[in-house]
Amino acid sequence: MDAVFSNSQNQFRQEVRDWLNTNVPGERLPSLDTQKGFDLHRAWEKKLHAGNWGMVTWPEEFGGRGCSLTDWLIFEEEYYRADAPLRVSQNGIFLLGPTIMEYGTDDQKERFLKPMAAGDEIWAQAWSEPGAGSDMAAIRSKAIRDGDEYVITGQKIWSSRAVFADWCFGLFRTDPESSRHHGLSKILVPLDSPGLSVRPIAQLDGDPGFAELFFDEVRVPISNLLGPENGGWGVAMATAGFERGLLLRSPARFQAAAARLVKLYKQNANRLSSGIKEEVLKAWGDTERFTAATYALVAQVDSGASISSEASANKIFWSEMDRTMHRTAMTIMGMYAELEEGDGAIENGRWLDGYMFSLAGPIYAGTNEIQRNILAERVLGLPRQ
Amino acid sequence: MNLIYTSDQQELIDAAEGFFAGEHTIEYMRHLLDSNASNDTPTLWNNFTELGLLGLVAPEENGGLAQDFSVMAGIAEIAGNVALTEPLIEIAGISVPVLSEMGATDELSAVISGELKVLPVCGLSGMVSHADKADMFLIGEGGKARLIDKNNVTLTPLKSIDPLRKLYKVSHAGDGLEAIDQRGTVLNASFLCGLSKRMVTLSVDYAKDREQFGKQIGSFQAIKHQLANVHTQIEFTRPIVQLAATQNGRCVHQAKVSSIDTAMFAAETAIQVHGGMGYTFEVSLHMFMKRAWALCGEWGDRNHHINILETMILADDAELGPGTTFNY
Repeated sequence: MDAVFSNSQNQFRQEVRDWLNTNVPGERLPSLDTQKGFDLHRAWEKKLHAGNWGMVTWPEEFGGRGCSLTDWLIFEEEYYRADAPLRVSQNGIFLLGPTIMEYGTDDQKERFLKPMAAGDEIWAQAWSEPGAGSDMAAIRSKAIRDGDEYVITGQKIWSSRAVFADWCFGLFRTDPESSRHHGLSKILVPLDSPGLSVRPIAQLDGDPGFAELFFDEVRVPISNLLGPENGGWGVAMATAGFERGLLLRSPARFQAAAARLVKLYKQNANRLSSGIKEEVLKAWGDTERFTAATYALVAQVDSGASISSEASANKIFWSEMDRTMHRTAMTIMGMYAELEEGDGAIENGRWLDGYMFSLAGPIYAGTNEIQRNILAERVLGLPRQ
Repeated sequence: MNLIYTSDQQELIDAAEGFFAGEHTIEYMRHLLDSNASNDTPTLWNNFTELGLLGLVAPEENGGLAQDFSVMAGIAEIAGNVALTEPLIEIAGISVPVLSEMGATDELSAVISGELKVLPVCGLSGMVSHADKADMFLIGEGGKARLIDKNNVTLTPLKSIDPLRKLYKVSHAGDGLEAIDQRGTVLNASFLCGLSKRMVTLSVDYAKDREQFGKQIGSFQAIKHQLANVHTQIEFTRPIVQLAATQNGRCVHQAKVSSIDTAMFAAETAIQVHGGMGYTFEVSLHMFMKRAWALCGEWGDRNHHINILETMILADDAELGPGTTFNY
């Protein structure tokens, strides 16, 4: 066991830092859930890709650098240290991309990974349905084989990025006689398909961050099936594992927020109650715990272990840490917490935006209640209900 | 950068774990409780020597295994898992490396062979468990490590809530030394992690056994989620403790604070899951719970470590944020 970066890791860090210093936009981009913000974030993805920094862990043939997961953590540390823009392509590069590498055919890898890495095709998720939220096995949307095509009919909801994105991936029932997690398949669908309508849903902040999708006999070629037909549950679980796990939420973003919180505390210390100090220390400490745990997890994965149910503890920890940290910031800002703009507004309402977003963390990617069930049953071995 | 044990290191830890599980059983602890017997069982100490545990981190030329301190922390965790009563961790994990650094080779060899017991003293409290079994005490004084013969100190018996801790106040405790206190803090945090894990295991076993409303109580989400919460806290405490075993600095204090919070949370949850049975002397939980309460205050209590963290984190020149976890 050792906690020292190698020379080549330090060199890699410096290379990332240098590139970001020259290329990160000077001003924060508008929300990626607006058309203007989305376009600017897509342009940023193209810039990253041009520098070969889009997804460093991917193989070189798909636009990556073949880096280890430890290198990925280093990249993320520099990325958040530079306060670089959010990744509008995250559904693709963090979730679908790794799944295609595991389950996709060679043709699918060729067809989908390159435009994904280049920011030419931005992906939306399409899992939940009005009657299938936490109970995802209750999915009813159907994809029925008709020759060389699937004909999709049904409805999806909470589809992140779908308003401005190009494609979506989701689970559909390919065996109409099946029930629960049997007979489902993972299918990739262009969002401009005839018969597919997208109805934006305004999020808490008013921006259309997700949407409802209505499928009315939408036709896609059977080559858009990812993994085995009727075996989509297993494929989806792989994606969900990535999402709960370390790709989507590496420690750096939380460490950056904790450092900002310490600064916020110091700037306001003279009017704060005494208990706040320990909340601030806890925020910092929890991000350090998350960092140590992530490096330990990465060491396990690099040594050949696979992450499965353990990812549930990860998701619970980061999402609740994030919410607590932002609540502390709200408490510190006190009478100014509500201000998005104007005299007294702090960082143009960034903490407020962050607090709202942190409230979604314990809900998306499988609610924390579901994660607790998974931990209790599959890790601790408690009996199923 | 590799925050996991090598397979050789893991083998050593697994071997010790097997030994503890076989010898340091709940029945053995009950025997100590019932007979008020000395927890100085010679067979255990012979085995500590044979397994190489006493000299685990000592140099090879002194008869040790020259292992990294992080392996010692792994041993401390599995010792916590069985609530080890003997002061093995204190001697092998603190006294041995400090004796080695002092160049006290005669004492070092005697300790490794099991002939001499040197117990470290925390300058903050001066309280030492099993002090009556010590031949010498190791203290930090004036920035140096010092050995004191048992005949040159007075031991005053204290009564701990943990009946398996034979606690004494040592009359000469010194004022502490980083080489002693850092190791004490990290090993204590590791031990607490082991105790926390065991309290979850005991609770899971109980929840699978106990039935109410015609079902195992462990099938209810009200029980599941409480235990999942403790499990999550443990999973995010062990790595920072392991990090603290490989580097000094602020992670050491964070490791101690997190292990205290996790152990107290584990104990409170465990007794709740056990219901009324958890409140009895008959059920084993109390032995682990009381040890946790006792150890939370050892090697600097929560106030002590939070105060240090505060000066480190809120300092004007503190380096915080991404990329500042290692070697700070």
